[in-house]
Amino acid sequence: MADYIAVQAAPGPRSRLRPGLAAVFVALALAGGLAGWLTGNVFYLRLATEALIFGGLAMAVDLLLGIAGLLSLGQALFFGFGAYLAGLLLRDAGLSFWPTLALVALAGAVLGAVAGLIAIRARGVYFALITFGLAQIAAKAVYNVQALGASDGLMGVPVVAVGLGPWSVPASDPLGFFLVVLAIVMIMYGLLSYLLNTPFGRNMQALRANAQRLSFLGFDPWRYKLAAFVAAAVLAAVAGALYPVLRGFASPELLYFQTSGNAVITVVLGGVGTLIGSLYGSVILFGLKSVIGTYTEHHLIVIGLLFMIAVIFFPAGLVGALRRRK
Amino acid sequence: MSTTHGPAATGSPILEVAHLSVRFGALRAVDDVSLRVARGGITSLIGPNGAGKSTLFNLISGALRPTAGSVAFDGRDVSGWTPHALLRAGLARSFQITNLFFELPVRENLRLAAQVLDGGWKTVRPFAASRVAQARVDELLDEFGLRARAGDPAGALSHGEQRRLEIAVALACRPRLLLLDEPTQGMSHGDTQETAALIKRLAGDLTILLVEHDVGLVMDVSDHVIVLAQGRKLAEGRPADVRADPAVQAAYFGETAHA
Amino acid sequence: MNALLETLQFVYAPQVVNGLSLGVAVILMALGLTIIFGLLDVINMAHGEFYALGAYLGMSLLGIGVGFWTALVLVPLIMLPIGYLTERALIQRVFHHKDRHILTLLLTFGMAIVLEDLFKLAFGPNPLRPDTPIAGATELFGMIFPTYRLFLMGVGVVIVAAVWWVVYRTRLGAMVRAAAYDRHMTASLGVPVLRVYAGTFAFGVALAGLAGVLLAPVYSVFPTMGKDFILMAFSVVIVGGLGSIKGAIIAGLLLTQVQALSSLYISPVWSDPLVFGIMVLVLMFRPQGLFGRLGHG
Repeated sequence: MADYIAVQAAPGPRSRLRPGLAAVFVALALAGGLAGWLTGNVFYLRLATEALIFGGLAMAVDLLLGIAGLLSLGQALFFGFGAYLAGLLLRDAGLSFWPTLALVALAGAVLGAVAGLIAIRARGVYFALITFGLAQIAAKAVYNVQALGASDGLMGVPVVAVGLGPWSVPASDPLGFFLVVLAIVMIMYGLLSYLLNTPFGRNMQALRANAQRLSFLGFDPWRYKLAAFVAAAVLAAVAGALYPVLRGFASPELLYFQTSGNAVITVVLGGVGTLIGSLYGSVILFGLKSVIGTYTEHHLIVIGLLFMIAVIFFPAGLVGALRRRK
Repeated sequence: MSTTHGPAATGSPILEVAHLSVRFGALRAVDDVSLRVARGGITSLIGPNGAGKSTLFNLISGALRPTAGSVAFDGRDVSGWTPHALLRAGLARSFQITNLFFELPVRENLRLAAQVLDGGWKTVRPFAASRVAQARVDELLDEFGLRARAGDPAGALSHGEQRRLEIAVALACRPRLLLLDEPTQGMSHGDTQETAALIKRLAGDLTILLVEHDVGLVMDVSDHVIVLAQGRKLAEGRPADVRADPAVQAAYFGETAHA
Repeated sequence: MNALLETLQFVYAPQVVNGLSLGVAVILMALGLTIIFGLLDVINMAHGEFYALGAYLGMSLLGIGVGFWTALVLVPLIMLPIGYLTERALIQRVFHHKDRHILTLLLTFGMAIVLEDLFKLAFGPNPLRPDTPIAGATELFGMIFPTYRLFLMGVGVVIVAAVWWVVYRTRLGAMVRAAAYDRHMTASLGVPVLRVYAGTFAFGVALAGLAGVLLAPVYSVFPTMGKDFILMAFSVVIVGGLGSIKGAIIAGLLLTQVQALSSLYISPVWSDPLVFGIMVLVLMFRPQGLFGRLGHG
């Protein structure tokens, strides 16, 4: 079995990233945000913000899966880590928004390196299972630690203000914080896009195409795997850090397989390897849950079925299918 | 027109293999092989099927770890080195079964191979900054006659063009020792002739170690020939001497020689 | 000396028995999983839901007045065509893709989500529990055990032995093993390979369903029961070696004993992380498990 999962890449010279679709997304998001604000619909603005946060997690999964060809079934480990750490820093250490994010990013990188050293030893399916196992261990551990709130989670995270030069946006401001989160997520997208269009990023993608040859061209595949893993860890951790700022708490559910699994579903539905597809996918998923939720509690059946259809008929995801040239 | 049939280059050998062996269970695929490759010429490795030529290549290029023996490149012991470390030291190889990035265009295949020339921080800067690599790509496109196909995915090329690209990719990093694994495999007669001419052109600063089935080609281009049979070195010497060696003829008995 | 015996009798033995009865469930699940992987190269993330399906089918049969023992026989029989159809209709669709491993993993993951919610929809979120078919307790070596648990252990041994016999001692088993080893060759020998695949999958999930019915009186039946067990089953399969029956049995016994006995020394909440930790260590240093072959998956 292949070491790397060669997800069907779109044919053609350029990578699958499309700045056009990203611009459309930002435009739609701004329009949606504005509409929500004008109609005074706080609930949907909060929901949209949450969709963006989980979209960030999905982007991390896509980075590993669609770009480097590694399926992570435990990305929630870093997401939950970021959430809890941010919660602690904001509540107990009294730090403000940006220093918290910076520390979470740093800590996420360290955790990513450690976990990466463990996980990357394994290949293919075994890699997926290790990431799954690591997240499970962390989830059970956090669930049982009183200091972190055990099953209730870490509560009482204060409402902080996001300092932007002369302005200050409180996290309780629905539109304001929505825009902040949008900006952060798009900045991370931008950084990744930039990286993927450098020789370094191309090598990471070449791993998926032909890892063996890459080694004979002078590049150590292990280093690229680790780099991708650490980048995905940082991305997931930073996204996770935004959660307690929005909701005021962090709970063990954030580490459960459900969270990791949802991220994978989001990526597949949105388009594997496109990065922006994860954001679209997250919005679609949240939207679906919302809409179906008004009719029945059992939205998972619909989502699960859609996911199965996507896997069978559109292995490269809906967005990927739209952009496939052949 | 440079001559490739000059005397063997003086100086230390660029590659020295000592008592190299590898076993797969009970099978000794390469058994106590020792050889030297002189600097700046063309050395060929021939032998009947199953002689262990590709395995020896794999051992030298880091694809396989030996169970015994050592490999020294340019005076340094490189036994057990990884392929990427060897490439950085100046040892490159091509593959018998075309091993390109088929979905990517020809130009990108070459760029991936040439990017080591830029090195350092250039790797996290946009492509425009990697001028040395881009220049090398253009150079190779012209030298190998692939400019017209630069934008096509490597998988769309004809077999002969792919084999040429395979060599170009190996050459892109300006190695000092180039291992060519059956470069003319599956090629037409015309392409084979062109490849022979190419190989002769390349030798000089570059040392070439060639594995080939086409005995005619081997006799034509080589300065030195080493014969393997059943994992062991059977004979070596100048092409004419090797061809006349009765033991070599016996090893090939029953094999159809490609004229 | 007396103190030692007493400790063995009252402290360790009950835990060992606990571990063994959990072990029966886990081994039955792990057997199905490892057989499905060994032959089909498919990681069935929905295996836990088939376990739950068996339990729910059993409850439904009991609800219409069928006796427990009849249900025990009927449920696996019902699960066979269900498994067969699932394999033919769903899994085969992604089987020939070059990314088969990840696609079947994702596909079965999707199936698991759908099934779990279906259970919630059809049967409600609350646990159901059938009456224990063999009530009472038995005294064995001076210790008291619920009779049903002893029965479970006995049945477990019988089923495992039966599976072993079928796989290694019958022509059917030989066909299955041949197809796993080299499917083209086997097909050219006239063996209907596609049917063998579907049949093997069916057999694997039938085993899971049987486990579901057997354990319903002990652990109750609720929509997330599959998820709880699947993690343990996967750990067993990994540690034992993907595709190895012997591995599933030995690792199953080992890990359930580790879990049971460790609860004497550390808080029981840490015994699951301990088992997962073992799984991660195995994946790091010996990914083929105790008895698996590398190059499989």
